[in-house]
Order: sequence, then C-alpha cells, then structure tokens
Amino acid sequence: MLSFTLRKLAALVGTMLGIAALTFLITNVAPGDPARLVAGPNATEDMVETIRVQNGLDKPVTEQFVIYMSDLVRGDLGTSIVTTRPVLDELLRYAPATIELVLVAMALGILVGVPMGMLSAVYRNSWFDHATRIFSISGVALPAFWFGILLQLLFAVQMGWLPVSGRLPLVALPPEPITHLLLVDSLLRGQFDTFWTALKHIILPAVVLSFPCLASILRVNRAEMIEVLSSDHVVAARAHGLSSRRIVALYALKNAMLPTLAMIGLRFGWMLGSTVLVETVFDWPGIGLYAVSSALASDFKPVIGVTLLIGFFFIVANTIVDLAYAWIDPRLRNA
Amino acid sequence: MMRKLVLSAMAAALLAGSFMASPASAFERTEDGEIIVFAGRQAIPVLDPHVRYDWSTRMVQQAVYDALVKYEGDPAEIKPWIAESWETSEDGKTWTFKLVENAKFHNGDPVNAEAVRYSFERGLKLNKGVAWMLKDFLAPEGVSVVDDYTVKFELKAPYAPFLSFLPWWFIVNPAEVQANEVDGDYGEAWLTENAAGSGPFKLGRWEPNVLYELQSVADYWKGWPQGENRPAGVIYRIIREPSAQRASLQRGEVDIVEGLTSDDYVQIANMPGIEIQNHKGMTTFGIKFNTQQGPTADINLRKAIAHALDYDALVQIYNGAASLQTSPLPDGMRGHIDVADIPRQDLEKAKEYLAKSEHPEGGITLEYVHVAGLEEARRIGLVLLDNLKALNINVEIKPEQWPNMVANGSRVETSPAMTSVYVTPISTDPDAVAYQYHKNSWGQYYAMAFYDNPEVSKMIDEARAATDWDKRADLYAKIQTQIVADQPEVFGMLQNRRWAHRDYLKGFQFSPVRFTGEVDLYPLWVEAE
Repeated sequence: MLSFTLRKLAALVGTMLGIAALTFLITNVAPGDPARLVAGPNATEDMVETIRVQNGLDKPVTEQFVIYMSDLVRGDLGTSIVTTRPVLDELLRYAPATIELVLVAMALGILVGVPMGMLSAVYRNSWFDHATRIFSISGVALPAFWFGILLQLLFAVQMGWLPVSGRLPLVALPPEPITHLLLVDSLLRGQFDTFWTALKHIILPAVVLSFPCLASILRVNRAEMIEVLSSDHVVAARAHGLSSRRIVALYALKNAMLPTLAMIGLRFGWMLGSTVLVETVFDWPGIGLYAVSSALASDFKPVIGVTLLIGFFFIVANTIVDLAYAWIDPRLRNA
Repeated sequence: MMRKLVLSAMAAALLAGSFMASPASAFERTEDGEIIVFAGRQAIPVLDPHVRYDWSTRMVQQAVYDALVKYEGDPAEIKPWIAESWETSEDGKTWTFKLVENAKFHNGDPVNAEAVRYSFERGLKLNKGVAWMLKDFLAPEGVSVVDDYTVKFELKAPYAPFLSFLPWWFIVNPAEVQANEVDGDYGEAWLTENAAGSGPFKLGRWEPNVLYELQSVADYWKGWPQGENRPAGVIYRIIREPSAQRASLQRGEVDIVEGLTSDDYVQIANMPGIEIQNHKGMTTFGIKFNTQQGPTADINLRKAIAHALDYDALVQIYNGAASLQTSPLPDGMRGHIDVADIPRQDLEKAKEYLAKSEHPEGGITLEYVHVAGLEEARRIGLVLLDNLKALNINVEIKPEQWPNMVANGSRVETSPAMTSVYVTPISTDPDAVAYQYHKNSWGQYYAMAFYDNPEVSKMIDEARAATDWDKRADLYAKIQTQIVADQPEVFGMLQNRRWAHRDYLKGFQFSPVRFTGEVDLYPLWVEAE
C-alpha cells in the first residue's frame, strides 16, 4: 500500500511539471504581446521595453522557460504582468470563492442526483423515470453560459427572488475570515443574515455548475441501481420478506454507490474547469474569472497558475479515487 | 410513494418561494447617505495614476486625484483646477502655473508646487502610462518650484498640445508616496491598490475583480456642485456580461451601466424608471488598409472599396446612435473641418476606380479583421462583404483576439489587408488624432495602415510646434484634406457614447474627451423620494 501511494505521489509531481511545461509552451506560441498591451496604446517602444525587462520578457523563450520552471520548483508561480502582483497571492485570494462554489455545487449534485437516480430506478419506466431522463439529458447537453443567463432572467429579473450576480450585496461586509468560505464563516461568526444573503447569491451559479454533474451522477446511479435491483442477493432479500424500502436504502444503494463515488471524484476536477464559464456569467470572483481575464490580456503566468491549480485538484481527486479502489480491492495495488 | 413525491415537490416549491426577496432596492443606503452603484465591464488592476490609464482606471483616478486642470463639458473645455491660472512665454517653451492655496490631500497635507513637481518627475521617470504624452518635450528637471504655490515647466521645444495633456497628469502626495517607497520604486507597488490624492473621493474597500468603493470627502477643498445632496460614496462594480448588467439595472441592484448592446439600449429605453444618456462621442472608426503591401497598396483599389461601402448601414448597425465621419478628425475636436469629397457610396465611381487599379476585374479575396466579440465590427464586415460583391471582390471576415490583432498590426508584413479599428483620442487637441497619421506612429495599432506621406508628416510636425492657433488650424485643414485624398482607410462613423441609468440618478455630465464608458463621478447625486 505504501509503495502504491508513493508511486501515485511521484506520478502527481511528474504530471504537474508536465502540465506546467505544456501550458508554458502553448501560451508562448500564441501570438500577442502582453508588454505592449499593458504599456497602453500610445506607449513608445522604450516604454514597452521597460515593461518587458521588468517582467523578464526580453529574454529568449528557452531562458524564460528555464527560469519559470526553476522558480516553480521553489513554489514561485511568477508575477502577473497586468496586476503586478505574485500569481500565488492572487490564486490564494480567488481560490476560496471557487472552492465554496464547487463544494456547494457538488453537494447539490449528490443530494439531488443520488435520490433521483435511486427513485427513477425503483420506479423504472414510470412518468417520473421518463421526466428524470429528460432532465438528465438536458443537464449534460445545456451549455452553462446559456443556462446561466436563462436562470438570471427568470429568477432574478422576472421573479426577483435571487440576485443577478456577485457573492454578497455591495454594502454588506463579509464576515471576518476564518476559512474564507463565506457560508461557513458567517455561520461560525453567528452572522445569520450574512449567511442567508450569501446563500441566495450562491444558488444560481451553484445550480448551473452542478447541473451536468448532477445529471451524470443521476444516470450512473440509476443504471447501477437497476443492475443491483435485479441481482440475486436482492431477489434473495425479497424472498426473505424484507421490506422494499429496507432493500433499496440499505442493500441496493450501498452497492450502487461505488461507481457513483468514482463519478463524483472525476466530476470534482471537471467542475473546477467549468468555473471558467459559470464565474464569468455570474461575476463570481474566483479562479475561473481570474483565468478568463488573464487570458484575454495575454497575461500568461496567471493562466499557467490556474491551469496548474485545476490540474492539481483533478489529479488529487483521481488519486483519492484510485487509493480508495485499491484499499477496497487489493488486486489493483500491483496493477 | 408517488403521492409523497408530489407533496415533497410542492414543499420544495414553497421553500423556493420563501427566497422571495424584498422588492428591488432603489439604491444602496448606508448610515452616511446614498451610495451610487456603477456597473462596468472592466477591472482596475493598477490604480497608480502614472502607471496605467484606461477608461475604468482613469474614472477612479479622476475621482481620487486632482490635476492642474480638468476637462469638463461638451465640447470639452479645459478648466482651472489645482492651477487657478497659467501663462505661456512668447516662444511657447515656458509655462508657469499659479496654484490654488486651499487644496488639501486626504491626509491634510497641502497640495503645493513641490507636490506638482514631484508628480511630474515621478511620471516621467517611471516611463509608463502617461509618460509618452510629455516625455519628448519635457525632462524631469524641466519642472521647477518657483514658490510654494507657483510651478514652472520648461519644455525642450514649443509643444502646442502641452496643456491638453495636463488633465491626465494627476498629482500625488510626495510625503505619503515616499513613506511607502520600496527599493526606490517611487511607491509603485504601494500605489497599485492605494491612493495618495486630493480628489473628491478617497478609497474605501478595494476588492480586485469584484468592486472598488469610493467614499466622498465631506470637506473637499473645491466643494461639491450638488451641495447637500453629495452622495456618501460610489461603488464601481464589475459586471462583465451585458445581459447581467441589464438585469442588474432593471432590478435596481445598480444605478448606472455602461456596457449594454445596441439592441439592449433600444429595448430598455421605454422602461419606466430608466433613462438613457446618448451623446456624440469622439471615438473614430476606420477600416484601415495595409497601404504598403498586397492589393490594398494600390490607391485606386482603396478608393474603389471606399466608394462601394454602404455608409448608411454603419449608422443602422448602431440603431441610429452614430453619425458618419466627415473627416479623419472627430467633430468635437478643435480644427475639425468637413472634408468636401470624403467618399460616400457611389457604385459608378467605385467601378471607375477599380478599372484603373491593378485588379480591374476584381477577382481577389481580402481579409477583414475585427476584434473577436465586437458585434458591431463583425456586422460592418458583413456589410462590406455584401457591398464588395459588386466589385467582384471577396471578403474573408476574421475575428481576432485584441492582443493578437495589436501584434499583427505592428508590422507591415503581418498587418491584414483591412482591419477595423476604433480609436479614442486622448485630448481635444487635433494633434491627438493627426499624429496617428505621422510615420513615427508606425507600429501602433491605430497606424495599421502604415500610411506614409512625407508631406503630411511634415505638416503635422509643423502644426504641433506652432504657437499661433490660426496657423495651426490652417495646417490641420490641409492635413485632413490630404489624408482623405490618400485614403489610407475607409472613414467610418462616430458611435454615440451611451449609458443607461435609473431616473433618480442626477447630475450626469457628458464630456466627449472621456473614454468610452468613463464618467465624471464628482457631480453625480441621487434624488431621494
């Protein structure tokens, strides 16, 4: 088990360096001159050069690459040319908002997806099952930005139930940070009004972000449940006269949850990537929005930084799933 | 089981109903009074007045800092501000400014001649942002303190547009900046997210990529035009999507927005409680030809294209909120003339020019590049595509990210045949636009045409050095006529500047010299019921 874990960790470091190298190359191949953009439309050539020199962009790309990678190994992600601040500081500034959004979306996905999948398996081919299947197909198919704007129009503009965008109302001061997650901090500080408004702000983006994930959890859970419900041990349990509710909730669901858990692990990293779209629509101040605004300004180092962070979470989530599988099934340890 | 399901669905619906918020609040109120909320698409990564300027950055700089003079009104005029008066020497090289004596920085320090001198030295030595405006004519040592409230500028050569740039040179408090200096950086790191100004507002909360709060200074040295109605502050909030801006305005979550689409403005114009500001701006639009390379190096082909375009369509694309350019210089600019024979659609003429060109039968394909996501620029490309069919010229419309467009446009070899370019002049002086057609501007995005007429370059040099306005006006008239004759671009339209705001927002003052989106926050106030 130890060697398995060590191998996984080594693979993680290797993959991260690979991601960094690849993103560095892609961003440098892309045309565009960030120094000229930052210097402003009227800047003279020597003004642009000042900014190039300050940001090390005057050096050959190979040298920039060596400098970047050696800084990276020491935990230095470089400086944003647009904001002039260290990328690591900015990632730490924006990450909590994204993590909070992903966690809430994930919770929604699980709390809605699992029971719905279970019910539609139990009531297979009923109207509920059909409705659920339409729901889950649209969840996978709807583009997030379109769905987001639609929800904004409906729930914020037409009904006026929820705010259009942002994380908190403008004049509301966020609670003194403990975890930097607004929902958690406001509860810990006993600021229930803030909790309530923060919750209202997170609903729409979380629903949009969770929808595809919810749909795939639902589909996997439904398929697994159907298979488990027709398996021998369930038939045996029925023959023993156990109640239907007991069979479904205790025996069938437990077995069906394993592939569902794998799906949840995969979707976690995927969700971090999707924040790029959702955060832009809802002006959610997280790393997705940071990545978009940096990319539009050809600001490469934040783009690499965000890619690394998302990649890191993706790999960690996958590694945890692998480890969990290995723990359950010893045959996988030497695979 | 099924009935339970239906019941729980109903319960969920009820729960959702309990989210129903109180009806949209009119404006944000705090204990100190009203807070005006301005929604804009663009963040403010660096506030330092000598390092960056774009519309959102400068709007906030203008709110927290003062300059010697300020642009106000339509047409824009230069008004005394920190400087109460000034005089120029005969040779146009020495400018002396007398400062007001009651101006105070937010920490109470006086705004004196030394603060002005230091600010200009800082701007010139950092060599970023605004530096280009003056660096060729003013050395840091050229600024000197005469007495506490008199400051003198000695230029290297006479430079007529000098005064027109000064509204964008904001004055920082030397004591505060020096106290926060790190390794002789002139306080650059600190001023990124802090301010050391004397303006009508001081900085409140600064949450990058989310919102920037400005608190009004009760005893602002210049007073408040709205008096008692002075707002407690302004929040500049980032809302990137036009649809979200519109929704927030309708809900009353924000009081004024800048980034709606042309269709949005038409649709919300009649909604109760919403007013539209619609003003003629100074942002020119040109379809720049590559005049040095490829088929568009041929002036006859350029003239043919310019006469084939349906100019009315350019105005229609903006739903009427635009007017055609009658010169390379925008209407609001000093020295502007209506150039008599500026091309309008005339297919006969277009075909005549085509016949004289190297491609008398057409049969070529030209690239038209626009900034990706700029819907109006894309539609103009479609109009061009349609119009040029009459000349048997095919148009390939190509959206391009802004950084790439700038990079491609910096060299003759990579500059496309046609690129749509919007340019907002930095000042009301004609030099601000004329110089775009000087050969020294090659490499800049607005000089993508690589226009080269030595005679025009010479006249531009002459005009910027002349001190007599009549002589300058004469030269600019000739310059405008010659540029139109050389047709380095299709001269398009001036799109109107538009904002939508709630009707209780008062005091809006338009000035065409501000950038697209930029608003003077100082005179705004909220009419409370």
